[in-house]
Amino acid sequence: MINRREFLKMAACLSASFGISNFPEIVHAALKKIDPATIPKLIYLQGQSCTGCSISLLQAETPNAVSMITEYSKLSFHADLSATSGKQALDLIETYISGQAGEYFLAVEGTIPWGMPEACVIGGKPFAEYIDEAAKTMTGAIAIGTCATHGGIPAAEGNLTDAISLKEFYKRKKINPLLISIPGCPVHPDWVWKTIIDLVQVGVPELIEGQPKSFFSRKVHELCPRYHDFQQEIFAKKLGEKGCLFKLGCLGPDTHADCPTRWWNGGQTWCIDANAPCIGCASSQFASKKDFSFYRLFEQARIKTLENSK
Amino acid sequence: MKVDIGPVTRLEGHLSIETTIENNVITEAISKGEMFRGFEAFLKGRDPLDAQQITQRICGVCPYAHAIASSYAQENAYNLKVPPNGRILHNLIQGANHLYDYLLQFYQLAALDFIDVTAILGYKGNDTDLTTLRNWVKAEVSSDTSFPAAPFLPRLSGKYISDPDINVGALKHYIEALEIQKKANKASAIFGGKFPHATAIFPGGCTQNPSIDHIASYRSLITDVKDFIHKKYIPDLLAVAGGFPEYWEIGQSKGGFLSYGLLPFGPELDSKRLFAPGVLLNDKITPVDFDAIHEDVKYSNYSSPSGLKVRDGELTPSIHKKGAYSWVKAPRYQGEMIEVGPTARIMVDYLQNNNPKIRQLVDKFAGMAGIQAGNLNSVLGRHLCRAISAVVIADFLLEETERIDVKGPYMAEYNLPKSGEGFGATEASRGALLHYIKVENYKIEKYECVVPTTWNCSPKDDKDQPGALESALIGTTVENPKEQIEANRIVHSFDPCLGCAVH
Repeated sequence: MINRREFLKMAACLSASFGISNFPEIVHAALKKIDPATIPKLIYLQGQSCTGCSISLLQAETPNAVSMITEYSKLSFHADLSATSGKQALDLIETYISGQAGEYFLAVEGTIPWGMPEACVIGGKPFAEYIDEAAKTMTGAIAIGTCATHGGIPAAEGNLTDAISLKEFYKRKKINPLLISIPGCPVHPDWVWKTIIDLVQVGVPELIEGQPKSFFSRKVHELCPRYHDFQQEIFAKKLGEKGCLFKLGCLGPDTHADCPTRWWNGGQTWCIDANAPCIGCASSQFASKKDFSFYRLFEQARIKTLENSK
Repeated sequence: MKVDIGPVTRLEGHLSIETTIENNVITEAISKGEMFRGFEAFLKGRDPLDAQQITQRICGVCPYAHAIASSYAQENAYNLKVPPNGRILHNLIQGANHLYDYLLQFYQLAALDFIDVTAILGYKGNDTDLTTLRNWVKAEVSSDTSFPAAPFLPRLSGKYISDPDINVGALKHYIEALEIQKKANKASAIFGGKFPHATAIFPGGCTQNPSIDHIASYRSLITDVKDFIHKKYIPDLLAVAGGFPEYWEIGQSKGGFLSYGLLPFGPELDSKRLFAPGVLLNDKITPVDFDAIHEDVKYSNYSSPSGLKVRDGELTPSIHKKGAYSWVKAPRYQGEMIEVGPTARIMVDYLQNNNPKIRQLVDKFAGMAGIQAGNLNSVLGRHLCRAISAVVIADFLLEETERIDVKGPYMAEYNLPKSGEGFGATEASRGALLHYIKVENYKIEKYECVVPTTWNCSPKDDKDQPGALESALIGTTVENPKEQIEANRIVHSFDPCLGCAVH
C-alpha cells in the first residue's frame, strides 16, 4: 500500500508524461469517496505578499470557502483566519514543518526576499528558513499567485530585496519538490480550490510548466468574446470605449488564463467585460519591466508632442 | 519581563509586538513591522498610469482605496476635468469596498477574540450551517488529527462570552458574513472589473459604463449588504460590547486624530465629502495640511534622512541599523503622534457637525452603551465607529446611484502632460491614505505613500514618542502575560495592515 505522498509523487510523474486522463479507472474510483482523514492539510504562509490572493480565495462560490477548508482541505494555519496567535501559532507551524504533525501541503503567497532575508520575517525567523525546512517534510507545495509563481510586483525591475518566486527559491536551493504553480494577481479562487479538489479526488492535475493545464492552456486573447472585434479591426481608441482593447495596451495576447470563460467574482464580471484592458496579471512577465507599461496612453501623448514640435 | 506576542494573526501581514510586563501590566510596547517590499523604489521610472495598478498591490485587502488615492493624485497632476459620473463610479467602487472590509474585520478578524467557538458543540437546533459546523467540530476533536478544528482552534486563553445563544448566533453570522462580503465585492467589481485588484479604475473615472443593467445589479447587492449590517452586524457588535463593557476604556491611544475625508459629493476633489476631513489635536480641529506631515526613521530600518516631508521622501534600507526595530516609518503631524481610522473619521466629522446622520448615530449608540464621545477612543469605540461608517456609507451608495446620468460620460478626456505633480487623499477602511506622484518626462519621478497603518503601527519617532498602537497598549492589564488576549483585542481594534504600513 503506498501512502498519499508516494501516490502524489507518482501521480506527478505520470501526469507529466501521459496526462491524468490516462490513469486506470480503478485509481479514479478509489479516490472518489473523500475520506476526511486523507484530505490535505494546508499550512498557508505569506511571504512578501499583499494578502490579495487570500482575500480572493474567500470570494469562492461553488464550493464556497467554508466548504473548501472543512470538506476538501483542512486549513491548519492561515495568518488571516487562524484563532491561534503568537508563540502558540509558531509552535503549530513548527510542529508541521518539523514533520511531527503528519502530512501536509505548504501553500505560499508572496515572494521570498533572496537578497535581504530580513525583509520578510515571521516571529523573528526569516520566511526563507520556513520554506527551506518545509521542503524536507511537506508532501508538496502550492505557489499561490503571480508573486509566488513568477515574482510579480515585489520582483519588479528596480526592487531592492531581490524578491524571487517559490520555484526560483527551490531551484537556487537545488531542491525539487512537488510544486504546483497557480499564477494570477490575484489568483482566481477556482484556480486554487479546484486544483485542491483535483488533488483530493484524482491526484495531481496535468501541469504545463508547473501550472494546471485546465486553467492556463489558452490565451485570454484566443478565448476573448471580443476576438471578433479584433478580426474586424473594431478597436477602442479611448478608455471606456467598447471593442477590442488591443490598441490601449491589452495583454490578452500574451497571457495564458481562462478569465474570458470563467469570469470573476462569482461570474459577475471580468476585466475586459468592464472595458478594462488585460494587464497580464497571470503572465510570467507581469509588471517585470519598467519600460513595458500596462497602457499606451502616455507613449501616445509623448509621440504626439514630438510630432507637434516638428 | 519581556514577551513578544508576535506573530499577531488575524490581521494583514507581518506584525510582532514586543511587550514589557510588570505585575501583569504592559509598561512598554514595541510595534515591529516585519516585511518590506519597497514600492516607492520600483515605481520610479515607470509609466505614470501604471501607478493605480501597482499601488493596489500594496494591499489586497483594501486595494481599491489605493487605486482611488492614486487616481486622485494623478487627476491633480494631469489637471483632469472629471465628469460627475466618473466621480460617482469611483465612490460606488470605494464605498462598497469599505462595507466588505468592515464585515471581514469584525467577523473574521476580531470576533474570535470575544466569541466562544466551542459553544457550537452544545448546539441543539436544526440550522443547516450550524449543524454542519457542529458535526465537523465534533468529528475533528474526537479524531486523532493534529490540531483539530483548525483554524478555529487552538486559541488564546482568556474570558470569552458565556451566553450560548450569543455565541452560536455570532458563529452563524461568521459564516453568513463570508457570503455577504462577496456581495459587497461583486458590487464594487461591477465597475472595478474584478476584486481584488480592479483594472477598470482610472484617474478621471472608470471604464465600465453605468448602464441601468449595471446599476440595478449594484443596488440589489448593496441592499442585501445593508440589510445584514442592520440586522446582524450591529446587534452582534452590541452583544459583544455588552459582554465586555470594560473595552470602552481599554486601548486608548494618546495622541491626535487625522481624517482626509471620504466620498466627495461632486466631481471636484475639494467638494464636500460624506465624511469631513480634518486634524484633531489638543481638542481643536484644523484643516489638513500635507506639508505638516513628516516621516521619522530613528527606529526604522532605513539610513535615509529622518523627518522628511512627504514630497521629499526617501527610502534606503538599512537592515542592521542600531536601535531600529521596524520596517514601518513614523509619520507625525506637526511633530505629534496621530491615530487614523474609523474613530478618527467619525470624531473629526462629529466635532465639525458635518454629517447629521453621523451625529445622530454616535449620540444614539453612546446613549445605548452609556458612554461619552471620548470613549470612541477605545477597542469598542473603533468597532462602533466602523459600524457607524458602514450604516452611513450603505445609505449614501444607494442614494449615489440615483445621481448617475446614464447617458453622460464616465471617463475624463485625457490630455496627458510631460510633467506634473499631485497629492491624492482619501480614507481607506483603516484610515487616512495619502499618495503623492511627481511626473517628469512622461515617467514617474517620485511616488510616495503614507498609509493608515504607517500611522497606527508606527515605531517611536525621533522624540521617542510611541506610535498610536504602542501608546494604546501601554497600561493594559493582562491576565496571562505569555498570551495576552487583551493586547490582541487592542491590536485587532486598529485592524492593522502591515503590507500597507511598509509597502
